[in-house]
Amino acid sequence: MKIGLECHVQLPTRSKMFCSCPTADCEFPNTYVCPTCLGMPGSRPVLNKQVLIYGIMIAKMLNCEVNDTTWFARKTYFYPDMSKSVQITQYDNPIGERGVYYLDGKKPIRITRIHIEEDPGSTKRTADLTSLVDYNRSGIPLAEIVTEPDIATPAEAREFLTQMVRDLRHLLDIPDDLEWEVKCDCNISVGTERVEIKNVSGLKNAEKALHSEMVRQIAMIKAKKKIVRETRRYDPDRDVTISMRVKEFEDQYGYIDEPDLGIYHIKDLADSIRISESPQNMILRITSQYKLDPKMAKQLVNTSIDLAILFEDIAKEFGTPNAIKWVGGPISANWRAMESRGVTDLGKLKELIGEFSEGKITDTQCTIGIKSYMTGQDATAAQEDSAGLETLINKFLDENPKIVTDYQKNDKAANQVIGFVMRQTGGKYSSAEVVETAKKLIEARF
Amino acid sequence: MSMDSVMKDLKAINAKYQMFHTMSDDISAGDAKFLFSAKDNLTSKDMETCAGSRILEGYHPVFDATCISKLREAGGKLVGKTNMDEFGFGTFSTNSGFEVPRNPYDLNRACGGSSGGSACAASVIEDHMSLGVSTGGSICCPASFCGVYGIAPTYGRVSRYGLIDYGNSLDKIGVISQKATDLKKYMEMIAGKDEKDPTSMVQPDFKTAYRKMRSVAIPKEGIEGLSKEVEAVFKDAVEQLKSMGVDVDYVDMPSLKYAMPAYYVLATSEASTNLARYVGMRYGHQEGDHSLKFDDYFTEVRSKYFGDEAKRRILLGTYARMAGFGGRHYAKAREVRQVVINDYKRVLETHDAVLAPTMPFTAPRFDDISKMSALESYKADYLTVPANIAGTPHLSVPCGYDSNGMPVGMQFVADHWNEDVLFSVAEDWEKQFDLRRPEMSI
Repeated sequence: MKIGLECHVQLPTRSKMFCSCPTADCEFPNTYVCPTCLGMPGSRPVLNKQVLIYGIMIAKMLNCEVNDTTWFARKTYFYPDMSKSVQITQYDNPIGERGVYYLDGKKPIRITRIHIEEDPGSTKRTADLTSLVDYNRSGIPLAEIVTEPDIATPAEAREFLTQMVRDLRHLLDIPDDLEWEVKCDCNISVGTERVEIKNVSGLKNAEKALHSEMVRQIAMIKAKKKIVRETRRYDPDRDVTISMRVKEFEDQYGYIDEPDLGIYHIKDLADSIRISESPQNMILRITSQYKLDPKMAKQLVNTSIDLAILFEDIAKEFGTPNAIKWVGGPISANWRAMESRGVTDLGKLKELIGEFSEGKITDTQCTIGIKSYMTGQDATAAQEDSAGLETLINKFLDENPKIVTDYQKNDKAANQVIGFVMRQTGGKYSSAEVVETAKKLIEARF
Repeated sequence: MSMDSVMKDLKAINAKYQMFHTMSDDISAGDAKFLFSAKDNLTSKDMETCAGSRILEGYHPVFDATCISKLREAGGKLVGKTNMDEFGFGTFSTNSGFEVPRNPYDLNRACGGSSGGSACAASVIEDHMSLGVSTGGSICCPASFCGVYGIAPTYGRVSRYGLIDYGNSLDKIGVISQKATDLKKYMEMIAGKDEKDPTSMVQPDFKTAYRKMRSVAIPKEGIEGLSKEVEAVFKDAVEQLKSMGVDVDYVDMPSLKYAMPAYYVLATSEASTNLARYVGMRYGHQEGDHSLKFDDYFTEVRSKYFGDEAKRRILLGTYARMAGFGGRHYAKAREVRQVVINDYKRVLETHDAVLAPTMPFTAPRFDDISKMSALESYKADYLTVPANIAGTPHLSVPCGYDSNGMPVGMQFVADHWNEDVLFSVAEDWEKQFDLRRPEMSI
């Protein structure tokens, strides 16, 4: 089975790709529009340079070769929400080509190309069968990332998308609380002929759509029926794919170069752009650099890049064992609580660990200090809480000694403790904190 | 004649010559410093803009084209929008959804195209400048047929913001006037960088100092296929030029004959994508059966309101762009464009301009035009197309009259950004040329 993806993500510019209209959401339709994004006769596109910069950053993140020159093309098709009946996109010489992106640091997924293009408007169907068109989205910049058919299963496709979206969010500095959807055209062939599932929204739906189509193709092959090359769409409510049309080939759109925009010489610009380490690369690096359990590396980075950076700071200053003990332990457990309080200064935490490593404070004092700083509880309450949690877990372990022996075979056994504590306390403790304390107490019983 | 009296006569003049599709309601010149008109494919806030197409009937743009706003800022008053071939698709201004302008020297003859209304206005109206647009010769051709001066500048010299596109990589806005001195005066007002049109942003400074034209090259390919009368008038004009101290050489420019097919591939490919937006939504005609599926509705509106020539060019362009043909036609045409440019550069290394008659014949009669096939009328542009495909600035000056009294024009092509040498030769020519104004009884 072969799976290839074409992923569309929105680039977080403040103004649109070819005009100065805002890209923000607007509750009133057809408000953030101008002659250019409405395609009025005589209007013309002017490129927003930030779009090129984001495109180059993505190309670099996906280890693509960035072309020295790049330009735009017109893709012609008729649809009411496409204001010019022409989409400005890229065909020849996209920003980046021939990249590779490693899934979990191991499996290479080849990247065919990454290009930038404008979004059309949107069409809303009403109850009485008429459609209303809103051009607020018309001209919003998108990046399209196309992979080779190197993905083996629907689950792997989701894994790929999850990892890439996390890396892209970090690269483009998309705030954690901002919804940032990826839309995919999913190509899958179980046998020899390829089927495209158009415009699937979200990671979970991509996996489900591919799975559903895989099952359909297997059934077809078993029944000795011919799979035709076509475009289908996915209906998530019924979990089926439905035929839309016989697959068109890209060159049937009659691409020509966009004559209103020139050729962009981007070599110097590309050379000047440095991208920060992607979360995935950081996981791989800290795993090997500090000889960490890959799970811990992943957990640190996925919780927050800042947490992983703190880990490195502590490791450098007070040694890796302290970093694992404190950053991997109570700091990680209380990170979300601290974030939700808007606390960003990490100096106090470093200070506490420093005092501990010099023997000025005890293990318990350090734990309580960290917890009270991060959660805002006063030290006594934090101590009582922490003592309360430990008492609760010790009681449970006394009653269920098998957990300790199970844990030695598989550390997932600690999960049983979470359920118990959550039931007892109604979510007073974060699950990270419960797991961390449980592990500590179980390991103490070996 | 005062500007106010010109304004007062405009309606009557238009009734006779049909140069305007839309005219200013206000018939006083007010405190205007000059009057001008503009081809109807340049957007104007206060006047309907249709580009000669019924599909845009009723369209009132929300913005002025940069060239129009610059002229207004300089004190100009826009008096009317001039008739043209639909979207610029023609050589005689007869392919129009609206009125067809009539030649000032003979009302039974065409003004040329596609800026026919503009050349007509410049020829007939006292002290008048009109903005034209050239894609394949649409400024020089009508200037020649109407006996006036016209310049199409270097591609990118004038912002195309507000120009309703025909072929974006070819379209150039220029100036048509009875007076050679107007060319520089008004070009200076409309030229220059405009952030709203990125293709205008690479131009060097606009040169206005006098620079005498010292030498011209006449390509053998440019004096083939001429009518006897044009050939004779041109020959006399060349002698006259020599007497003005211009060296004349005859050269070979073998690429010129390939410009025409390449032009039609490029221009129609681009046009077919530009015209895709006219679907009866957002502007222009919007009536039609709204219960239809959107693509059937689009087809209905497009079938009804596009003229035959627009449909022909959409079909040609779509064919040229389609699978299997794109590489063969469009990419090839671009290569040819480069070959033509190289040919001009080679000749212009040693000459100030390339010279030939503007059109191979004088303005034809409407009844003869109606008998011409599409291919025959396409071929009439073989002298103007090469400079247009190369993006080089070119100028048509009136250089004589045939036995019917119809004007003959000759065309100078200079190197990119060298409009200055064209202004100078036009002004020198004007000083010694006996311009015959058309009869003006109305």
